[in-house]
Formats: sequence, structure tokens, C-alpha cells
Amino acid sequence: MNRRSNLHRFTPADMLIYLIMIAVLLICIVPFIYMLALSLSSPSAIINNKVTLLPVGLNFNSYQEIFSYPNFFRAYGYTFLYTAGGTLIALFMTTVFAYALSKSFLFGQKLVLKLVVFSMFFSGGLIPTYLLIANLNLTGTIWAMLVPFAISQFNLIILINFFRAVPAEIEEAAIIDGLDYFGILRKIIVPLSTPAIATIALFTAVFFWNDWFNGLIYLNTHQYPVMLFLRNIVNGTMMVGDAAGAGDKSTIAMSIKSAVIITSTLPIIILYPLLQRFFVAGLTVGSVKG
Amino acid sequence: MSDATAALNRQDSGYDSPASRRRRHFKRYWQLYVMMLIPLVHFLLFKYVPLFGNILAFRRFRPGMGPFGTDWVGLHYFERFFSDPAFWRAFRNTLVLSFSNIAINFPIPIVFALLLNEVRHVKFKKLMQTVSYMPRFISVVVVIAIMGEILSPSSGLLNRFLESVFGVDPIYFTNEPFWFRPIYILSETWQYTGWTAIIYLAAMTGINKEMFEAADIDGATRFQKVKYVTIPSIMSTIMVMLILQVGHLLSLGFEKILLLYTPSNSAVSDIIDTLVYRYGLINQNYSLATAIGLFSGIVGVILVSSSNWLSRKLSGESIY
Repeated sequence: MNRRSNLHRFTPADMLIYLIMIAVLLICIVPFIYMLALSLSSPSAIINNKVTLLPVGLNFNSYQEIFSYPNFFRAYGYTFLYTAGGTLIALFMTTVFAYALSKSFLFGQKLVLKLVVFSMFFSGGLIPTYLLIANLNLTGTIWAMLVPFAISQFNLIILINFFRAVPAEIEEAAIIDGLDYFGILRKIIVPLSTPAIATIALFTAVFFWNDWFNGLIYLNTHQYPVMLFLRNIVNGTMMVGDAAGAGDKSTIAMSIKSAVIITSTLPIIILYPLLQRFFVAGLTVGSVKG
Repeated sequence: MSDATAALNRQDSGYDSPASRRRRHFKRYWQLYVMMLIPLVHFLLFKYVPLFGNILAFRRFRPGMGPFGTDWVGLHYFERFFSDPAFWRAFRNTLVLSFSNIAINFPIPIVFALLLNEVRHVKFKKLMQTVSYMPRFISVVVVIAIMGEILSPSSGLLNRFLESVFGVDPIYFTNEPFWFRPIYILSETWQYTGWTAIIYLAAMTGINKEMFEAADIDGATRFQKVKYVTIPSIMSTIMVMLILQVGHLLSLGFEKILLLYTPSNSAVSDIIDTLVYRYGLINQNYSLATAIGLFSGIVGVILVSSSNWLSRKLSGESIY
């Protein structure tokens, strides 16, 4: 395939395809470059519409400023807490559940699988879920973020399929060697399933990092994650600094907004290429069943 | 079968009674049941209790009296929203937005995947994939915030461009009802084109190379190969994706719409989900909101199963 493709002539069709691809590439990247440029530019250059893709009047004031706001720092800390805690709980629950559900000889396994699939098509809905979490007295506590969303049916099914693909002989050998099922899961299944588990970890961490809606309906203002902080800056309901005098939208400089956008997205942009190689493998295994 | 399983099976298939067999089953596998315990309770609590919580649609809610309501009112809340013009407006908005979204954002990833598949430079292809998946991992809040800055009437990149090139007066994109649907749909294009294309690309890598070689021998042009080999080969994937999309007709990107929602564009941006949110969580009219949510959930299930049935009839492809 490769050898043949090198022999191929570069046709006008190729030219067109490459032009389209480069356009797509730019459309994906330019918004971030623009945000970066705005966050590094001087306010006067922004007001006079001088900034396009490169910073004008390069300075780091807006970053210095947002890092001096106590409420930004707190929101950022809470986001880390929700992401780390939520992902750990979700990984534990999903892995253990998926391992048990991958054993078709257990009583009730088929019923539980049916319940899992059914709940993907018909879910409780916003209000009943909200009332449940409120009645469990989780509202206004960090547990409202960490606990209710631990099991995603989609991730569960990816993992079940992955675990089923592990040859039964490996487990039998481990049992003969004196390992119990907890040991098999910890020492054999989990290490063998790194790509699938990493994929799920990526999805879950992104879910928690990006969440703002659950924070909005379940948390108190001082527990807000950074995305909700950003949303409130954007629609002008939150002042950037605790002591900010005017809550007016227009007073929040674009450079500050852009700096919050960049800092709140940066961890994902950094982490993403590292985990990306896993998720293609993880996803295709999950979708083969389809 | 390995020796170990054979040995285990021999033990199982003795003359002993079902009761003693069951005892041995639990003795051997109790750890697996223990593993299942906590996640199962969690799953039932957070997925099935809300499901039964939908009973609230038929019962009156009183604060502090539990999430299942107090007394039966039958179809009272259903009658109420069926006669509510705001509901029908939201229903129509949902359908219009959903259909326009499918019409535009269903074919685009297929075209993108077909084009990307024709890129011969492997490194460039990898780069394209990596970059085009990335927007899917960006928070909706960030997407809306970036769009807000690019579309801003005073200093946004787009308005500056329109003004300097075409001399157009600044347009307040995020506030004008006319622009709501294009903004929503194009932001979905930006976020999900690359991601959705993964599935088609995966299907394309599964195509037997000999089919292309045979087409080469027959003297097929590149375009003909795409038309007669690639597209028919991924047709079943396309069908399944279409079923999924039609099945999810009523569930749009609720969070994105909530972020784009302003009182001035509410005539087009108020969809069923935002209506449920406003009636339920803002006005605390829980029973009414639950009834609307339940109605849209049931319509959703009917949509999935009927599109699945239709697809099986027409093409022999179905998701379950």
C-alpha cells in the first residue's frame, strides 16, 4: 500500500483534498490561537481591534491577575478535586462491576446486563434524578459531584467486552496458582486491560473537568468548579475578583476572559495527546460488538 | 477446553442435588458476587430509582414529603402541558433544530472521513486525526465563551472581518433569534466532525484491499472506487449511525442550548429540555416538569425502536 502510494502522481484531486484538510486544521486550531493572543495582549490593543492571531503589546498581566483572585483559585482547586475524586470512584466502580458482569455463569448476570442496556435507552430524567440527590442530602456537598455519576453504561459495556476477550485459560492458571478473584482482577485483568481502562479514565476525567451543569444545580456558590466560574464570568453573573466593584459584563476585560479560557482548558490540551493513543484502541474494541 | 475447566465441570456434573450444587457455586464464586454488590446498589439507586421517580408525573409533589409525591392526580399534568403553548413551541423547536442538525451534521463527518481516507501521507493523516478529535474534549462552556468572543459585535473577529471586507454593520449573533440555529449547528460541526469520523474511518480500514485491487484492474478511477467500493462497504455503519441519530432526535445538546439561551432568542432556542429545566428547577414545578420529561423520554424510546425496526426491514442492519 505504502510503496504503491509513493508511486502515485500528485493529482489535482490530491491538491483539493490537502487544501480542504488544511482548512479544517486551521478551523480547529485558530480559535485557541486567537484566545491565546487575546490573553497575552494589552487591553488597549484589544479595545482598538488590533489583535488577530498574534499578541499585540505582549504581557502576562491577565494571568497574573486571575491567579491573584481567590475565587478563581478555589474554583480551580475544586475542579481538580472533582476530577481526581470522581474519576477514581468511577474507575473503581466500573472496573469491579464490569469484571463481575463479564462472568456469564453468575446468577442474575443476564438480568443485570439487560437492566444496564435498558437504562441507556430510557433514563430517569432530570427532575427525578435531582429530587433523588436532594433527598439523599447530597445537594450542597461535594459528594453530589463525586458519587452519582460514577457508573456510565457506555463505559461499562466497553469494559465488559474488553474483559470477556481475556482468555479464560489465564484465569484458570491463576486460580490453580492460588489467586482468588480479587487477586485476579488486581494482578491480571487490570494490567491486561490498560488501554480500555485508560480510555475510560480519559472520558471520565474529561466529563468531570468539563462539567458545569451538575455543579450549577447541586452545589453552593463557593464550591463551584472552574467551568461554572467561567460561565458566570461570560454571562456576567459573577465578578472576577471577590472585591470587584462593578459586576457589569463590559468591565471584565476580554484578556481576562481569554486567560480563564486558556487556563481552564490547558490541562485537557496537555493530557489529551498522551492519552489519545489509548482511546483509539479502546474505542474500536468497544465498538466491534455494534 | 483446558484441563482445569474440565476438572471443575466434572465436579459440577455429579449426581448431587441442585441445592448442593448451588452451595458449591456460591462457595467458589462468592467473591464475584461481593464485587457486584456495591456497584449494583449504586447502579440501581442512581439509575433505577429516578426511573421509578417518574411516577411523580402522575402525583402531586409536596416539599419535604419525598421524591415520589403525595397523592394521585392522574393525567392532570399531562393535560396541563398539552394545552400549554410554551410546550408546543418547545416541541417544534426541538424537532426543527434536531432535523436541521442531522441534515447538516450527519453527512459532514462521512465526507470528512472519505476525504481523510484519501490522504496518502500517513503522518499528515495522523496529525489531522489528532487535531480534529480535540474539540470534542473541550468543555461546552469554553466553546460558547470562545464563540462569544469571536462573534462579539464590538470586537469579535467575525464582525471585524465582515465590516472590513463587505462593509456589513456589526451583527449581534448570539442575541438574534435568526442566528441561534446556525450557531448551534456549526458549533456542533466544529466539536464533533472529527470525533464522529473515527467510526467511519475504522469501518474503512476494515475494507478488504483486494476489492480496490480488483477495481484497479477494471480500470476504475479514484472517484469510482470511492463510489462503488468505499461507500457501499461502510453503508451498514452509516445506517447504524443514522438510526442512533434519529433515535436521539429529542435529546439535543441541552447544556449547549442552555448556555446559548437568552430571553431574546427564546422563541427558537427554547427546547423541551430547557423547558423541563425552567419549569422544574427554576419554578420548582416538579410534577409538571417530570411529566414533560417522561413524555419526551417515551417518544425517544419509540423513535429508537421504530427507526431500528425500519432499518432492519429496509437494509437488514440494526443496532440490537
